[in-house]
Parts: sequence; C-alpha cells; structure tokens
Amino acid sequence: MNKQIISFPVPKTGKISLVVAPKTVIHSLMSMLAVLALRGRVIVVDGGNCFDAYGLARALRRRTHQIQPALKAVQLSRAFTCYQIVAMLAELPVDGTPVIVLDLLSTFLDENVNFSKRQRLLDSSLNLLRQISEGAPVAAWARAHPAAEGEFQQLLMPLLETAHDIWELQAPEIPDHQLPLF
Amino acid sequence: MPEFTGWLLDLFDDPREGLVLYFIDKKGARHRLTRPFPVTFYALGSDAQLRTLWRHLSNRPDEIKLCRTQRMDVFKRQDVTVLGVTVKNPYQAGKIFHETAAQFPGLEYADADLNISLRFAAETGAFPLCRCQVWSDEAGQLTHIKVLEDAWLLKATPIPLRTMSLAPDVAPHHAKPRYLIVEVAGEEYHLDLHTWRPLLINLRALIQRHDPDLLLTDWGDTWLLPKLMAQSEKYNIPLGLNREVGRGVSWHEERTYFSYGQIIFRGQQIHLFGRCHIDRQNAVLWNDYELDGTIEVSRVTALPLQTAARVSPGTGISSIEMLTALREGILVPWQKQQAEMLKPAADLFTADQGGLVYQPKIGVHKNVAEIDFVSLYPAIMVYFNISPETILPNPNGENLVPALGLAIDNSQDGLIPKALRPLLEKRIEMKKHLASTPNWDPFRKNFKRRASALKWLLVTCFGYLGYKNARFGRIEAHQAVTAYGREALLRAKEAAEDMGFEVIQLYVDGLWVQHPQKTRPEDIQPLLLEIQERTGLPISLEGIYRWVVFVGSRQNKKRPVANRYFGFFQDGSIKVRGIDARRHDSTPFVSEAQMHLLELLASKDRPEEALPEAVDYLRARLRALRSGHVSLPDLLVRQRLGRKLEAYRTPSPAARAVMQLQAAGKEMRPGQRVPFIYTLGKPGVFAWDRPQAPNPHAVDVARYQRLLLRAASIVLESWGMDEEKLTEKVLSDASQLDLPVPPKQHPRKHRSNIPGVVHPAMDRALKGQIQ
Amino acid sequence: MGRTLPSATQLMLQEEASLARFRRALRRGDQLVFDDLFTAAQKHISAAAYAAHALPFETFLMAMLLEEHKELMRLQEIVERLQEMHA
Repeated sequence: MNKQIISFPVPKTGKISLVVAPKTVIHSLMSMLAVLALRGRVIVVDGGNCFDAYGLARALRRRTHQIQPALKAVQLSRAFTCYQIVAMLAELPVDGTPVIVLDLLSTFLDENVNFSKRQRLLDSSLNLLRQISEGAPVAAWARAHPAAEGEFQQLLMPLLETAHDIWELQAPEIPDHQLPLF
Repeated sequence: MPEFTGWLLDLFDDPREGLVLYFIDKKGARHRLTRPFPVTFYALGSDAQLRTLWRHLSNRPDEIKLCRTQRMDVFKRQDVTVLGVTVKNPYQAGKIFHETAAQFPGLEYADADLNISLRFAAETGAFPLCRCQVWSDEAGQLTHIKVLEDAWLLKATPIPLRTMSLAPDVAPHHAKPRYLIVEVAGEEYHLDLHTWRPLLINLRALIQRHDPDLLLTDWGDTWLLPKLMAQSEKYNIPLGLNREVGRGVSWHEERTYFSYGQIIFRGQQIHLFGRCHIDRQNAVLWNDYELDGTIEVSRVTALPLQTAARVSPGTGISSIEMLTALREGILVPWQKQQAEMLKPAADLFTADQGGLVYQPKIGVHKNVAEIDFVSLYPAIMVYFNISPETILPNPNGENLVPALGLAIDNSQDGLIPKALRPLLEKRIEMKKHLASTPNWDPFRKNFKRRASALKWLLVTCFGYLGYKNARFGRIEAHQAVTAYGREALLRAKEAAEDMGFEVIQLYVDGLWVQHPQKTRPEDIQPLLLEIQERTGLPISLEGIYRWVVFVGSRQNKKRPVANRYFGFFQDGSIKVRGIDARRHDSTPFVSEAQMHLLELLASKDRPEEALPEAVDYLRARLRALRSGHVSLPDLLVRQRLGRKLEAYRTPSPAARAVMQLQAAGKEMRPGQRVPFIYTLGKPGVFAWDRPQAPNPHAVDVARYQRLLLRAASIVLESWGMDEEKLTEKVLSDASQLDLPVPPKQHPRKHRSNIPGVVHPAMDRALKGQIQ
Repeated sequence: MGRTLPSATQLMLQEEASLARFRRALRRGDQLVFDDLFTAAQKHISAAAYAAHALPFETFLMAMLLEEHKELMRLQEIVERLQEMHA
C-alpha cells in the first residue's frame, strides 16, 4: 500500500485550521498528530469512529524509538452522536492543549435527529471550537460524504465560515494499486 | 368497595379518563377500570433557562403543575436541580413535552418519553400480566392494586387467557389466500375470503361470543387486519377488534434496522386496545420462545404484551433499566449526552477489543469437556458492579479493571447491576430447575421457552451497554466488561493447565478441555471449583463430548474458525454450530441430511463404522432428488437480502430472486428473507413467492447434489471422506447418472505443521522403520 | 457502536497486503513459503489480539518464530528417534 502522506503544517493558537478531504487523508492527519504528540499533550475528538491508532504508532515509530510516551500524550475521546460531540467539546480543559477534531460532521449527518436540531447542535459545536481556539491551536477535518452530498454541503457552510485556514483535497485520481502496463 | 383477584391484561392512556386498565378476573369476568394518572417529566438547565421555561409553561392553558426540585443524575453522580413538569392527563403529556422540547431546544430533558406501563409499574409495582388483587370504587375507578406474584417468581399461576387465532390458509405474499382459519375455544372455522359480507358477520359473531383477550394472527400486522378493517368499513360491519369502545387501532410503521451486524426488517404493526394482538409472523423470536416466552418478556420488562411481542431484546433491557431508574428516583435522560472520557490513545489498543477467541485445533478430539461461564457478561456486570456511574477514570484507585486504567466504585450498587441482578438470578434458577426437570414434565416446555426469553435479554444487555443511544450506556463500562471477560477466560485456562488439562478451545465465555484420565463429569468438578475460586464467577459443565470436531472455514479448510463445530455428548445429545444443519439459509434437503449423518455417526461406538451406511443414505437422497421425490419446499433456500437492490454490482442469488418478485409487483426490503429454488439456465433462481408455480423439471439438480455432498463431507471428512472422495464414492454407484464432479479446490497440499500430527509421508517412513 | 480499531485478523491481512510487492517479486516456491509463514502466525491471532501491541507486526513475527521453533523441535525429536533406532 502506497499511502500519500501530505505534511500539513501544525495548527496555531488563535486559528481554526480546516481540512476538507476524503477518508484517505487520515494517514496524513496521523502524521501531523505524531509531530504534535512529540511536543506534548494533544486532545483528539473522534467524531467518525476513525482514529487510526496503528497508523499513529507507525508514524511515531518513524520518528522515535520511544513511542509509548507520545501515545500517552494523545488524549482521545470518541463521540458517536452529535449530542456527544457538543457535550465533549463543552467539557474540554481550556489550558492551551491543541485540539484536533476528526470527521467532525459525521454524527451531524444522522437522519434520526431532525435537521434543524442538528444545525443548532453544530452551531454550538462551532462556538465552542471558536472559544477553544482563542487559547489553543485547533484543527478539524470534515470528511467528504458523497452519499449525503446535499446535507453535507449545507453543514459544511458554517464550518467554512468559522475556519481561518482551509485545505480542500480531492480523492486521488490515480488508484494506489498496481498500474496497468498497457 | 368491589374487589377481585386476577391479572392485569392491558393498560393505556386515555384523553378523558387518564389511565384505562383491563383485567382478567380469575372467576372469568373481564373488568375495565380507570384511574387519574398524572405524569411528570423534568427539564435540566441553568437557573435562568429554567425560570424562562417556568414562565412559559405557567401561561399554558393545560392542567400542569410545576415544581423546582432535586433529582439524581446518574452520570454526574449527584443530585441536580430540575424543573418538574407534572401533566394531569398522561394522554397530553407527550404533546406538551414535544412542544416544550421544540421551543426550548437548549435544555436537557429526562423522564420524557416513557411507556405508561413502566410508569405505572414504578408507581404501583403492578406490571402487565401480573397476578394481582384489585380494589375499585362504584364509578369503576381503580383505588388500590396489590401484586400477588412478582415478576421474578419461578412458577407463576397460569393466566386463563382467551385466545382466538386467525390465519389465512396460505402466506399472502406467496399466493392469494382463499379462506380464513379461525380457531377459538377448541373449534376451527373456515371463512371464505371471496365473500366478505358473510365473513365479516361470522367473524363479528365469533368475536362477540368468545370475547378473546388475545388475537393471535398470521400476517395480522402486515396483511390480515388492514384487510379486515378496510372491508369492515366498506360493508359497514364493525368487527369489534378493540374491546375499548371508541378507540381506533394503533398503527406503527415498518422499519429496517441493524442489529449485531445483521440487517433486520420488521413490518408495520397494529396494536389494539383492551385486547391484545400478536402477529406470529412479525413477532420477535416467536419461533424460539412463542407465547410463553413473550409473556415472560412482558412481565420482566413491564412492557405491555403487544409491545413486548414486537420489540428487540435491546428495548426490553432498556425498559428494565428505565424501570429500575424510575423506582430509584434516578433521571432517565431523553437524549444521552455523555461522550467517552478523555483517555490516552495508548489505552485504546487494550480497550477496543472483544472477547477472547482462540483458533481451535481442526479435527476430531475425544473426551472433551465443555465448560461455560453462566451468562458471563451479565454476571460480570452484576458481580463486579459495572454501571455507567461506577466506572471512574482513576488508574491508581482500588478495584482496577484489568489493564484498562479504570477503577470501579464499590461504595454502592450501580444502576445496571441493580436492574440485572434479579434477571440473572432468575435465569440461573431456571437453568438449575430445568436440569432437574424430566422430559415428560408438562411444564418443561413452558420453562424452556421462558428460559430462552430471559437468555435473549441477558445476551443483549452487554451490547446495549455500548450502544450509542442507550440511555444508561457508557463505552467505558462496555470495555470493562470485555476486559473482565478476557481475564476470567485466561484465569480459567491457567487453572485448567495447572491441573493437567489441555485447552482445545476458548470461545468468549466457554472453554473446551481434555485430559486423558479425566473423562467423567465428577472428574471435572475440582476444575470447576478452582475456576470459580479464581474468577469469582459462576461456571457450569455443559457436558463431556465423546468426540467433538472443529471444522475449518468455508473458504479455506485449513484456516480454523472459532465457532464452527459439531460434537456428540456422553448423554447422547448432539451439539452443532456454524454448519449447514444450523444455518437459517440452508435448504431443508441439505440440513436434514447433514443432521441425519450426524445421528448416524453418533449411533456407533466408532463413528467410522457409520461410513458405509452414510454413503448408502446419500445415494438414496440423490436418487430421490433426481427422480423428483424431494418436495420443492425442501429445496428452498432462504437468504437475506443484504442491501438495496441497486447496491449490488453482481447480484447475489437472493437479489436475483428479488428482481423476479419486483417484476411481478412484489416489493422486498433489505433484511427480509427471500425463499427461492436454484434452477437451470439463467438467472439460476426461481423466487418462491412469484405468482407462477415453479417447474419441477427446472430444478438445478447438479447444484443441489453439490450442496448435499459438500455439507456431507464437512461432517464426514474427519473420518477420511473429504468432498472429492465422497463424491467419487457416492457417484460410483452404477445406478447413478454421471454428473459433473467438482474440481479440486486446493491443488497444492499444504504441509501440516501442527505438532503431534506427523507429516503423512514421514509417518509412513517412521512406521516402516519401527516394523 | 462499531469498533474503532481493526481486529487482529484484519491487521494481519493489512500487514500481508503491505508486503504484496515483496511477495510478488519472490520466486513461486518462496511465495508459498511466505504464505506458510502467515498461515503459521494466524494460529496465534488471539494471543496477538490480547497482547494489543501498538506495532502488531512485531507480535506477528514472534508468532511466526514460535511456530518455526515448534517445527524445529518436532523435527529434532524425529531425528533423535531415528538416530536411536539406528544406534
């Protein structure tokens, strides 16, 4: 498996960095996380059940022999509903620890909760992220959802308005398996 | 003051009278009583928010009482300030709550959408179908109710339910039914479905005369009752399906959902008032535990019978937990908010694991004892006090969960253990009781069904703890349970090895052990005691296999699969897992043959003695197949439609069958099982529910032959008959037609490197040397 | 609630897949030996899962070694028996 790793700059205090990209970007995000984790504590909120702990371990291993301290420096919480995301962000310690939110929008695409309610919860989440970003670096990843394109675009709008740096990546054109010869 | 003894049949809210209850009097009468029944929901938020809500609600015209009070928030582990909203009529409570929640979406709510039956049970102790003593006043108002038999009683007095069964003569999705079969009071009536007026008049007369408590139907939810109601309206002949006058029936929509990685479809439902309706074709696990089990579920969950028949065990468990919370004065959150605690990523590797599952050693094993932890996961929750509020993020505390960096607060019993303990204890008692009940005991069947209902609830309670929407779920609690489970199983393994046993297999809550000298149940007792001592969990001997065979995976015979085996216990019973005889999708033709072969093997002292008979039997079955003597229903495959039709790139046989049905105007949803027959040519299947009759000559005989021989070889190959050999042997019969022999699947013989099993060539060489 | 991390079985498949290019360039005979190593490691998949190592390939290598050593011991025993018979 050839994984294309993009070196994202690590996020900075006072800013919200946003990555809008398909699933495969997780490897690059783990790579960025590894860099942060080697500097100190990092908080990860996983909104899409996608935290790639093995990928992180490999990314760390490329940089150090001592992966355990860095694995302990990453503080993880997974949220499985949009209610949980809001509750989670509201409870985060405000002490300058960088915050990375993975697959921020997934739980907000849950059709079992009515759309206006989800929009309201997303607004609360973004407000919380804004508050956190005043004292700590914040990065969020919005995973592209081709299956729910309409709702996704609607939910993405406020997110784009909130973010300061935005990286938008498309799925790679070239498949990563063996190339045809002819 | 009138008083009687009987059973609570049904209860529901009513716009005028609050709560309506129907009782069966033990003397035969049926009573309808009413009672005012105010219900309370709570709002949680900041003082300012609650004040605004107070002002808003006090301006409403409804009869509402408000009060500021303290209630227990189980996740915060402390009392919190809440605004209690008490609505005088329960019928309006739902509407008022939903309006409030829509207008004040920033608040949290609790005790908001609970079944009235749970509220009544929490307040009075009386649950559906409980035996009780009832007092009422002249106006028909219930004044007092006393429960005479609680839900945990092992043997309850049988309820004198009057049951009427209604079923069309054939499955309506398969063919057009001609008449309706009505069974009531030991009589059977056939009512012609072509002549509606007389049918309606007769049915109405029967319902009036017998006044059944329970309508037990086939396809009543999805076909029969909607049809009857439409016709009754058309001819203006009311049937009186409800006992409660002036109430329509209650419709619940169909739905498709995921459960344990499987897609499940449940059709629409029709609930009655004052009388119960159960559609056997749409009820949960009906084939497994029937009415006895459904009544058991209703009693222990306090859900009305009609609901209990149709909800998943997960909802059942949820009800038991909510009932416990209501009784304890703990808030039942409307929407669960709690996310996972922040924990080091390093902990995830250990935490995010399931039960311990070994790869068994493929092949035959003799004299193997199977030892099972009794309801392992529920037992862990109860005995180790695992509950959302007892788990603390304290890696240095006491009562540490194995390897997880979590501690357990044992200063008080958790909510979940409190809710589950009586259920678990009843199940264990029932198991003991069943073991000592002889087969001829008339209560045995009833017991088995009820035990099965309890088993399903207990099996589910663990998964429910980790379910994202479970109100009292918590991911850490879920992880703690599996961590204790793995620890228990490893301790059991160590105990067994310390005592000289070889461990053949470990599977989540059971272990299979072997010892050359310890082959009788009494030899195993010391090990059971030792395991119990080391784990603190109840354990029992499932039995000792004369032999047990672990088979490889379907794709690769060399790759062991954890839960695919068959074996023959010393007491004569056969246990089968994961092979055709147990699979829901295999055809009766194949699974019955496989079961027959197992019985043949089991009947001999040495299983290999059964081989000639087995071959003869297979030849006979094949002859029957070719000469058309196997009935078409015996050739039905019943596969589940795994996803929407559009989602298939290469449609599975089930999907192709569904396409045929679609062409005939019959819709199927993902999760539904599709019966079909394999046929010659394209598309290779014939959907059973097509309007046309299948052509018996189109049956794909070669395919069924292959399925039969493959299933037979799974059972026989441990005695030297692999698929290839078996096919050769069975087809060598001169009377057999020449049919294509399946190609060899694994051209390269893999070297077996299991110690103790010597390479065949080496083995021969060795023996040559010894001689 | 689905699991977040892949199971040990999936991990092993991933590791096997990540070596696909290596395997492709091996001679046919060596490819089969390569496959045997993974089949051997498969036998200890539950121990590997329980170990929950952050770099699971290390555990898989250990499992392969374990099976290799078992095989070695088995062959050693056969050789000794043959030697005894000839002695």
